[in-house]
Amino acid sequence: MSLSPVEGVALAEIESTGDGDGDAPKAKGFVGRSPGQLAWVRLRRDRTAMISAAMLVFFVLLAFAVPLIQALYGVGPREQFQDRLDGFGMPLGYAGGITGEHWFGLEPGLGRDIFIRMVHGLRTSLFIAFAAAVITAALGILLGTLAGYLGGWIDAVINWITDLTLAMPFLIIALALTPTVALRFYGQREAVPPAFQIGVLISIFALFGWTSTARLVRGQVIALREREFVEAARASGAGLGHMLFRQLLPNIWAPILVSFSLAVPSYITSEAALSFIGVGLTDETPSFGRMIYRSLDYLQTDPSYVFFPGITIFALVLAFNLFGDALRDALDPKSSR
Amino acid sequence: MRPRAAVAAGGAIALVVTLGACSENTGDGTTVDNTRQQTGVIATDPKDSLGPAAEVAGAQKGGTFTIIRETPISHLDPQRTYSFAGLMANPLFSRYLTTWKDDGKGGLVLVGDLAETPGTNVNSDCKVWEFKIKDGVKFEDGTPITSKEIAYGIARSFNPDLAGGPTYVQEWLADSPEYDTKWDFKKNQTSLPPGLTAPDPKTLRFEFAKPRCDLPFAVSLPTSAPLKADKDTGVNLDQRPFSSGPYKVAKNQAGVQLTLDRNPHWDAATDPVRHQYPDQFVWSFGPTADAANNRVIADNGADQSAVAFNYVPSSLVAKVAQDAALKSRTILSPTPSANQLVINNQRVTDLKIRQALNYAIDRDGLIKAVGGQTVAQPMTTLMPSSTIGYEAYDAYPAGANGNVDKAKELLGGKTPELVLGVADNTGEQKIAIQLKGNLERAGFKITVRNIPDDAKLDEVKKKNNPWDLYIGNWAADWPSGASILPVLYDGRSIKAEGNSNSAFFNDPAINAEFDRILALEPTKQGPEWAKLDQKIMKEHAPVVPLYVDVAYLVHGSKAGGVFISSVFGYPSFVNAHVKK
Repeated sequence: MSLSPVEGVALAEIESTGDGDGDAPKAKGFVGRSPGQLAWVRLRRDRTAMISAAMLVFFVLLAFAVPLIQALYGVGPREQFQDRLDGFGMPLGYAGGITGEHWFGLEPGLGRDIFIRMVHGLRTSLFIAFAAAVITAALGILLGTLAGYLGGWIDAVINWITDLTLAMPFLIIALALTPTVALRFYGQREAVPPAFQIGVLISIFALFGWTSTARLVRGQVIALREREFVEAARASGAGLGHMLFRQLLPNIWAPILVSFSLAVPSYITSEAALSFIGVGLTDETPSFGRMIYRSLDYLQTDPSYVFFPGITIFALVLAFNLFGDALRDALDPKSSR
Repeated sequence: MRPRAAVAAGGAIALVVTLGACSENTGDGTTVDNTRQQTGVIATDPKDSLGPAAEVAGAQKGGTFTIIRETPISHLDPQRTYSFAGLMANPLFSRYLTTWKDDGKGGLVLVGDLAETPGTNVNSDCKVWEFKIKDGVKFEDGTPITSKEIAYGIARSFNPDLAGGPTYVQEWLADSPEYDTKWDFKKNQTSLPPGLTAPDPKTLRFEFAKPRCDLPFAVSLPTSAPLKADKDTGVNLDQRPFSSGPYKVAKNQAGVQLTLDRNPHWDAATDPVRHQYPDQFVWSFGPTADAANNRVIADNGADQSAVAFNYVPSSLVAKVAQDAALKSRTILSPTPSANQLVINNQRVTDLKIRQALNYAIDRDGLIKAVGGQTVAQPMTTLMPSSTIGYEAYDAYPAGANGNVDKAKELLGGKTPELVLGVADNTGEQKIAIQLKGNLERAGFKITVRNIPDDAKLDEVKKKNNPWDLYIGNWAADWPSGASILPVLYDGRSIKAEGNSNSAFFNDPAINAEFDRILALEPTKQGPEWAKLDQKIMKEHAPVVPLYVDVAYLVHGSKAGGVFISSVFGYPSFVNAHVKK
């Protein structure tokens, strides 16, 4: 039996559910559960978690099914329906031009379909947010465990780099870097492809986002590294890889998972914010930030244009945040309210 | 408590949406009259230049007239004034050699302002011009304005420290674009620039090396405002200009508010265009276009006699246009600011491609994309309709939505790949998306290349810029073909950088035409420019004319007499008055 503290906590919970009958692990009605299973049970019991998880699954499915939805819906994200706009460029009909063909109406001016652009925008936003969160988590875990476990000069250097990164002004660098990078790689007569813009956005997020995970992981690892089970493993001659990935990491998954689930929504809003100030994606690539940015001009004259993208990004980020909170409660019951 | 708050928030959102949804937009009542025909002439009868200006119907004296604008006026000093706000504010406290009598409906007459007539072409070769100064014209301190003060005003515009204003007269007198080195104002403060003389207090004489037939137009700009040498405070004149017009600066809180009081020494009998109705004019700076327009729409208190200088922003257009109660408080007028899809003629050398672009263009869709008919009106000519002698024509008739088949036929099955360079601001991005969709339907392959907003103008004006198409805009300083066609399409003027001829169009036959027409009497040039306009479009199609900007303005219920200047396209205040 391992001396891992997580399992110790789990054991305590089993004991408490087992009504203090700790000395009889084989008592009747008692089921042995791994900490993962326990967390799962706790998560299942949480109604908020289940509802937000269902919403997330729905959004992710929607994002994956974009080609299918487009085929069924029969309208492309760049198609224009300007014949359905009046002389001011405002959509004809009710609530921003909602009809059977255009479920969420049309954009004023260009006359593109809002629904299909939103579905495409959902895919763009989720892809950017997930990719950025995975990369930052990976970077953060690697640097955090190394710094925390090895200590010494490596810790000092990594800490120093973390502080340096934290001190760099994110917005200013994003503003300065994005256009310059495009100019560096693409000629004056070449269009910058959306994939490149998305890549730049993800890299900027990765460049700035890894610090919080790294600090979190480092703190956790420092707390663990003097523990008995770690000492025991070290005494048995375990290598660095084994120490990091078999002994330390499994015990700090919970905070990492929570920070990951909270990072995704923050990247969704950051992408929107960057597109909003014009350094993110260009208007050709459907994205939430761009849509909301353009729709704000029409707040007074075509509120439904603001409403649909606004409510969707609101629901998406809220669902992610609620799920992240619930996940933390489930994984770390000691900190529950 | 929490669920209730959530319900309340949800309810509020639902309410907003249903409110927006409950009115059906049928597209009614959204037509704009664009049939108006502009005319412009130079007054030949000296009586036209006599004051006083005809009374404005229903106008009365008194009250404070407020103008709300987002950014301050860049310069008040007449010799440094070139921004639209400055050009509209300046006539309130400055008089010029000539000025435009403007009925706000497109009827323009160039008349003498301080001068008795809009200039005398002494030898009929446009090289020597004479202006006779009116009697009884005075500065704000009561001293008379003579040709000496007008000449001093023009002389000080040579001072490089006082840059920012128009440079026509200076360049023509010096016969060189580097006028400030040719004649140094600071070393010659007591003398006058070469060619400019004031033989007696009533006469001002210009002598040029080359024919300058547009001089009467050029001196309608504030360069020709008079100033007494002992009142010249140099760069500080920007804070408090010395008045020769119906109002004088009472208080100037830089960047916040400019207050103008009546000038008692201004004599209405000498002035053919200006009035002196309100007791006070107040320019108030700060509120955004949205805020200013919303304030004027609300029509409360002092805002009742206010006008929002910035046009109704596209976000408010539909709201304002569909409010019948606001109709009497809005002004809608085309402006002389013309927009083109400029074709880089150095790169796109095939005439058929340029013609196909002209056939393909969907002006109706483009206008919807930029904000609709209260923001833009289609144009098919090189010169806007406000130009003297203008004649409407469409060299490539393709209907409001363009003729895709005709364009494809001209292309003959080829797919020209063109790069459209656009500034990365919201406005041009919208146009780029629209044009890409539009032209790709007609068989082109369009690559959109973003150019940083602040660099775009400089970049497309470089001779060897790498793009095939870009959006261009030209607002002429006076409504004559001479300030449009030769400036934009004379190939001999192409230099390495800073080209106004950003189409890089160069045709010897057309260049010869420019020379021929420029040497004609100004009064005879109008129809010739219109003919040349048509000839350039039919034979060469160097650009695709897109649309003219439309001024859409809202004023308070007590603000009267405001009209859109047919010359500059912004509100003019010479007739402004406060209704009781």
